[in-house]
Amino acid sequence: MTKLDAKDIKKVYWRNIFGLQWGWNYERMQGLGYSWVMMPVLKKLYGDKPDEMKKALKTHLGYFNTSQPMSHLIIGADIGIEEATGMQDEEAIVGLKTGLMGPLAGVGDTLFLAIYRTIIFSIAAYMALSGSPVGLLLPVVGGILLLVLRYWFTGVGYKQGARLATEFAEQMKTLTNAASILGLSVVGALIPSVITYTLDLKYTMGKVTLNAQDMLNQIMPGLLPLGIVLLSYWLLGKKSMNSTKLIFVLIALGMVLGNLTNIVNGIAGLF
Amino acid sequence: MVSIVVIFALSLYVAIAVLDQISIQIGPYSPIFGGAVTGLIMGDLKTGLIVGATLQLMTLGVATYGGATVPDFLTGSIMGTAYAIIAGKGAEYGIGLAVPIGLLLTQLDILARMANMFFQHRADHFAAEGNYRGVERQNIWGMVPWILSRVIPVVVGLVFGQAVVNAINTFIPAWFMMGLKAAGMILPAMGIAILMRYLPLKSYWPFFIIGFVLMAYFSKTFSILGVALLGLAAAGVYMMNANKTQPAAPAPKPAAKADPSDLYADEEVEVND
Repeated sequence: MTKLDAKDIKKVYWRNIFGLQWGWNYERMQGLGYSWVMMPVLKKLYGDKPDEMKKALKTHLGYFNTSQPMSHLIIGADIGIEEATGMQDEEAIVGLKTGLMGPLAGVGDTLFLAIYRTIIFSIAAYMALSGSPVGLLLPVVGGILLLVLRYWFTGVGYKQGARLATEFAEQMKTLTNAASILGLSVVGALIPSVITYTLDLKYTMGKVTLNAQDMLNQIMPGLLPLGIVLLSYWLLGKKSMNSTKLIFVLIALGMVLGNLTNIVNGIAGLF
Repeated sequence: MVSIVVIFALSLYVAIAVLDQISIQIGPYSPIFGGAVTGLIMGDLKTGLIVGATLQLMTLGVATYGGATVPDFLTGSIMGTAYAIIAGKGAEYGIGLAVPIGLLLTQLDILARMANMFFQHRADHFAAEGNYRGVERQNIWGMVPWILSRVIPVVVGLVFGQAVVNAINTFIPAWFMMGLKAAGMILPAMGIAILMRYLPLKSYWPFFIIGFVLMAYFSKTFSILGVALLGLAAAGVYMMNANKTQPAAPAPKPAAKADPSDLYADEEVEVND
C-alpha cells in the first residue's frame, strides 16, 4: 500500500480550510468540496489504479455536510482508513462520513457558530460603536487560533482513526455543555444591552407627566427587550415560522413602535 | 457619483469577503467589517463602523446552521454604509436601509447555491470517466457563482447609488423610515431568540437569567466581557464536576480534554486585550 507523508496531510488541511464549500450546492452540499479536499491523497493512493479512483471519486462526491471546523476530524479519519485499506471497504468510509457528520455538525455549530461568534462579535461591535476599530482584530485573532485548532483536528482524526475520532467527539460534548453555560450567560446579558428601543410616550394629566418607559423600568429594567425576545422565542417554536418570517414580524412591530407617539395621538384625537 | 476606483475596490472586497464567509471566516465576511471597510474606502470610517457594528449586533446568533440561507447582511452593511455616506444623512439612515437590502439579496444567495448544482453534475460526469482533474476544476468553478452573487448587487447598487438615494428620499415617507429605525432597534431579538432555541436553554436557564440580571440592573458597572468571564468561570466549575463524576473514564480522556479547554481559556485572554 502507498504510504502518505506529512506533506500530503498538510495539503489536505490547506484545501480543507479554503475550499470545502466553494462548490456548496443544494443537492450534495459539501460533496463537491469534499472530493476536492481529498484529491491530493486520492491522487497518491489511486493515481495509477483507475478503477479505485473512479470508485473513490463517486464516493467522495456524495452528499456531505457538517460544521467546517469539525470536518477536519472526519477527513483526517477518512485519510487514515484509505491509507490502510484503500477503497476495499467502501461502506466503512461512507459509514464514517455519514455517521459522524450529523453529531459533529451539532457540536461544531454550537461551539464555533453560536457561542464563539456571539461572544467575539458582540465585544468587537461594542468597541466599534464607541468609535474604535481595534475590536476588529478580535475576530481575526480568534480566527487564526481556530485555524490552528483545525490543523490539530486533522492530526487527531488521522492519527487516532475513526473509533477514537468518535470518542473524541463524545468528549467534545462535555466541552459543548460547558461552553453552552458561557454562551447562555452572554445571551442573557445581550438582551438588555443590544435591544436599545425605549418607549417614547408621555401622558400629561394636569401638572403630572407620566413617562411610560419610567413606569416599565420601575417594574424591571429591560422588561421591554425581554418581552420582545420571549415573543420571538415563542414564535420561532411554531412550525410555520422561520427566522426570515420573524424578521418581517419584527419589522412590522418596529413600524408600530417607531410611530407609537403619532398612533397614540391619532387615537386620542378621535375622542 | 461614486468613483470607479471605489466601485472596483468594494467589488474586490466583497469578493474576498464571500470567500472568507464560506471558508476560513477570519473577519471580512462579517457585517462589522463590511461597514468599516466601506467607510474607510469612501472616506468616512466612523459612519461605517457604526452601521457595521449595529448590523452586527442585530444579527448576532443569525448563522447558517447546517448551510441554511440567511439574509445577506454583509452586502446589506456595505450598501447601507455607502448610501449613508452618499446621502450624507448619518449612520441611522444607512442602518435603516441595510436590513431591507440584506433581505432582498437573500434570493441571490439561494441562486448561487442552486447554480453550483451544475458544477456538481459536471463533476459526476468526469468522475465516471475517472478524470480527477476535471472533478477538481468543478469545485474551483464553484467560487464563481458565490462571487457573482455578491459583486453584481454591489456594482449595480453603487453605479446607481445617487439615483437610489434620490428615489429613497423622494418616495419613502418619514413614518416608514421611523419604523425602520425602531425595527433596527428590536431586530437583535431575532438573533438572540435563535440562540436561545439553538443552545440548551432548558438545561442551563439559570445562567441565562444571571446574565440578563447583571446587564439589566448593573449595566453601569458590568460589561458583556465581564458577564462572559463569569460565564467562563461557571463553565469551568461545570467541567471540574463533569470530570469528577466520571472516575471510570479511560486514561487518555482527561488529557484530550485539557487541550480544547485550554484553547478556550486562551481566547478569553485575547478578548481581555
